Amino acid sequence: MTEELSKALQNKLLEVNIEGKILNLVPLTGGASKEIWRFEVQTNHETNEYILRKGSGIEGPLAIKTSDEALLQQEVRKIKAPVPEIVAVSSLKEALGDSYIMKFVEGESIPRKVLRDAEFKDALPLLAFQCGEAIAKIHEVDVRKLDYLQEKTPIDQLNDLYATYESFNQPSPVFEYTYLWLKDQDFGDTQSSLVHGDFRLGNIIVSNEGLESIIDWELAHIGNPFQDLGWICGNSWRFGQNEKVVGGFGELEDLLRGYNSISQFQVDEDLVRTWQVFGTFRWGVICLIQASAHLNGSVNSVEKAAIGRRVSETELDIVDLLFLGGK
Amino acid sequence: MIFDKPTSVDLLAAISHFLDTKIKSEVPPHLAFKLRIVKNVLNIVIREIEKGEELSNEVISLLQSLMESDTPSIETLALLIKDKKIDLEDQNLKDLLVTLSKNKIAVDNPNYSTFKKLIK
Repeated sequence: MTEELSKALQNKLLEVNIEGKILNLVPLTGGASKEIWRFEVQTNHETNEYILRKGSGIEGPLAIKTSDEALLQQEVRKIKAPVPEIVAVSSLKEALGDSYIMKFVEGESIPRKVLRDAEFKDALPLLAFQCGEAIAKIHEVDVRKLDYLQEKTPIDQLNDLYATYESFNQPSPVFEYTYLWLKDQDFGDTQSSLVHGDFRLGNIIVSNEGLESIIDWELAHIGNPFQDLGWICGNSWRFGQNEKVVGGFGELEDLLRGYNSISQFQVDEDLVRTWQVFGTFRWGVICLIQASAHLNGSVNSVEKAAIGRRVSETELDIVDLLFLGGK
Repeated sequence: MIFDKPTSVDLLAAISHFLDTKIKSEVPPHLAFKLRIVKNVLNIVIREIEKGEELSNEVISLLQSLMESDTPSIETLALLIKDKKIDLEDQNLKDLLVTLSKNKIAVDNPNYSTFKKLIK
């Protein structure tokens, strides 16, 4: 299988004038929905490292095609936001399937390593500000060039999430309450922007100098940009570091200083809190979606089964935020 | 129960011990992560067998007094909220939602940071 993949990689790279031998092709543990491979290409002059990200080619209720992920990262790169350099894109009908090849980015993406390893000790205090800046840059991408992405208002998204939750026939008093609460909120006046949709540790590459690259764009869409700010503040993405509101490493004040230093729309802490509740509800519904793939028999996966029991984490976070003064 | 010892909890604990002592060191890195999930799942089942009934009963009795019904259920409460047939600002409702969420996580993941913070 690796040999076949090697051949397909070699042919694809030839299309973009990279001719060389594929070496050290190894699978990396990635997201639940993607195959990720690391490999080297040895040309006459040099050896370079690359990453292949390969999707199933099926667009999920929230996820976009992997090839579209590549296209939009090329747009983001044009405005000098930190994203990997895409080398080649493959469509579903080609040998490589729905995938793309990017240059390898040095650094770490595994959340617990970023939070714990001594190597990143000096980077962590800078990271919240840098994330704020990067999120603001993403939101400046010209959305007219992204016509393959869906546009959704907060209320559209909320109704979609609620409909998805309802379809699983597992009534949750907390989610019913959350839906009514969110419907009453003000999500902030702004213009439609590119939303990364999953901006957090795990989907960014961090070096000892801080943020290097934003990866994993499969939940990208056009919508209210403040969603990205609330998402990274959700407790689900603090990896046990509860007291550090931003991603388990930083302070909300620093994230907003970074964001407001670039964005033409100024955001305050209350607005982030609303989006934090929204994000937590959204993650809860994504857990339901993942678990349903196991429950309906389309896959037999202990990983997906287990995630069904993580819905209660999001319920607890929501009641903490709404009733118990949680941050 | 008519069954002999070991109890279901004993059996699951034996599997858990086996995974820890004999399997963990043998699996390649990409399976180590999955093994951790398998362990988590076993522990959920153990906790549910041990404490599930008590944790559920506590919520059911709160539901009984809130809904003034002999056959209260999570489903009925969800429906009452959805149709706004219950006062959403009622402190008893909020307290119930907190207890419900805490009791669920006590089985699903008692190491969850928010839970640890709240039971301090």
